Amino acid sequence: MLQGYGYVALFLLVSLAFAGVMITLPVLLRKFKVIPYKPSAVKSSTVECGLETTGRSWVQFNPHYYFFALIAVALDVMLVFLLPWALVLAGLGVFALVAAAIFVAILSLGYIYAWRKGVLQWK
Amino acid sequence: MTAGLNNYLVLSAVLFSIGLYGALSRKNAVVVLMCVEIMLNAANLSLVAFSRFVTPVALSGQTVAIFSITAAAAEVAVGLAVVIALYRQRGTVDVNDINLLKW
Amino acid sequence: MNLDLLRPEICMALTALAAVGADLLFKRKAIVTAVCLAGIAAATGLTFSIMGNAPQIIANRLFSLDDYAIFFKFLFLGLAFIVIVASVDYVNRMKDFHGEFHALLITATLGAMLTASATDIISILLSVELTAISFYALVGFLKNGKTAESSIKYVLLGAINSAVLLYGFSMLFGFTGSTVLSGMERATAAIPSGGAAGGAGLLFGLMLVIAGFGFKIAAVPFHMWAPDVYEGAPTPVTLYLSTASKIAGFAVLTRILVTPFMQPVALARNWGIILAGIAALTMTTGNLLAIPQVNIKRLLSYSSIAQSGYMLVAVAALGMSSSNFLQARSSLLYFILAFAFAELAVFTAIVVMSRNKPADLISDYAGLARRSPLLGVAMTLGLLSLMGLPPLAGFMGKFYVFTQAAQHGLLWLVIIAVVNSVVSAYYYLRIIKTIWTDEPASEEPVSSSLGPRFALAFACLGIAVLGVAPAIITRFSEFGSHMFMP
Repeated sequence: MLQGYGYVALFLLVSLAFAGVMITLPVLLRKFKVIPYKPSAVKSSTVECGLETTGRSWVQFNPHYYFFALIAVALDVMLVFLLPWALVLAGLGVFALVAAAIFVAILSLGYIYAWRKGVLQWK
Repeated sequence: MTAGLNNYLVLSAVLFSIGLYGALSRKNAVVVLMCVEIMLNAANLSLVAFSRFVTPVALSGQTVAIFSITAAAAEVAVGLAVVIALYRQRGTVDVNDINLLKW
Repeated sequence: MNLDLLRPEICMALTALAAVGADLLFKRKAIVTAVCLAGIAAATGLTFSIMGNAPQIIANRLFSLDDYAIFFKFLFLGLAFIVIVASVDYVNRMKDFHGEFHALLITATLGAMLTASATDIISILLSVELTAISFYALVGFLKNGKTAESSIKYVLLGAINSAVLLYGFSMLFGFTGSTVLSGMERATAAIPSGGAAGGAGLLFGLMLVIAGFGFKIAAVPFHMWAPDVYEGAPTPVTLYLSTASKIAGFAVLTRILVTPFMQPVALARNWGIILAGIAALTMTTGNLLAIPQVNIKRLLSYSSIAQSGYMLVAVAALGMSSSNFLQARSSLLYFILAFAFAELAVFTAIVVMSRNKPADLISDYAGLARRSPLLGVAMTLGLLSLMGLPPLAGFMGKFYVFTQAAQHGLLWLVIIAVVNSVVSAYYYLRIIKTIWTDEPASEEPVSSSLGPRFALAFACLGIAVLGVAPAIITRFSEFGSHMFMP
């Protein structure tokens, strides 16, 4: 019982030590002139690569993302079923193949429906 | 030391209570839906734990959990759609402000 | 697997797809309606083709096909047909999403039909969710603040409720070791009788399940959503919600309680008494809160809560009857049938009245009998049947239910129920007085197309036949005698 928590404590100590070392190491290296010290405006900005951010990051997302997220969720849930199915397919035979085909076909109908209704267009 | 059935059941009961408290006390409709997810997953956890310890050979509890994940996804999808519809109509998702209908 | 016994359900699923497809391909709205009605008729025919067999197990014990399931399948198919026919005018006025409206009605029916024969936690869960999710979308169908509000209330409370239900099911599974109702039955049969009621865990799970279905049937501590949702929803949806959704809840609750949990008598007595308490609360609260209402949909939602209370009396009698439960169950089914006809009559009249502009206030129905005798008569018959006036269906239903309850030692509950019926007469008669004696705001007759008139006539016929000659449906067919005179 206690031994189990001991491992957790050890893990916690190691990770804290690692974080401390990673913060102090650059400072020490700079102090002993191992690495050069040349600060600039670009280097100290929040995001160093890519485009500069515009506005704040706490904005409301376009609700249109919702439709894409919904379609993605349908795919995810399909995987929840297809993964166990695929693992045991060899032992199940033709019936399971046909059943999964019907399942995927019904989901595809849903996509065709969403497509025809213009959900997939970005407006 | 390995966790027994009781540990899982207590965890699931605690999660369920946290979810229920959140669902009943939060103002934002989206957060309420998230709390409902916690409740559903607590139930899934207890299903899987019972299945592991009570009927270790048959995977019936796990199967129920997979199907309940699907049902939960569908429920939340419709829930979010309704939240969006409400926002378009009323400009708010605060459950304290939806008070046209009472008594 | 014998999936072919699920023919009616497969037909309904195809109908839902066809409704959406027809909406995508054709511009005319009548085609979608015709496709749906044809699909329902075909499914009814298929249900005829599978009835009369001995109880059968379908798809690895996920579903069972017995007379109980067949009864509800016919009932839901009939309800869906009448609802679509009754709301033709109302739905034609909606601008778009015509196909989706019908497809969702069909999937709700499909879910209810599956609910009636589901015998496994998985199938119960999925079919209940199918019905519920279809209704979430249907309730918020119109684009105004009221329907959006009622829909969000329904969705949030319904989601919390399905989590409670799932947690209850996980308890039942854990303490019986089976997800199938027949497996649970074997587990409870092994509990020695005379001792404890099968452990606190089992009773706890059962309470959560009762709470979960208590939400669906709007029993009292879980009824808060019903008035708001009934008022805000489009009226045809209210009609379908107050009948199909509620009846599906009773169908599955009764199946879950009766098959596996009759066995240690102490356990059955426990849930019987708890349900009796809920029943007393439900009818009293429903009737008292109905009295001050001025909005007719809201009033009828409280009245429908009270009716749930009467139905729960029958379910409580099931629990107290121990092994000899068939008669109590028959009384429940009879009451449900009478209730469905009465709700059809009243709500169809409201659908017809609100096809052009909302007619939600009781005062909108002033002098209705003069403007449209058919609507006036149908509403009056429906309300009198809900009230339980002797020659009508509602009276026979209440009579059967109360007799059963009294036989199984629930006399106190019967007394409460009778007092409640008397109280309910006040608000039912108030509407009837408005319909017949008040001055109408305009003398303009209320026009309606053939569909709603057929629905009204059918409902009135049902109320009269079930009330005047209950023997007809019990003697007319072997099936009826099976269901109602075991």
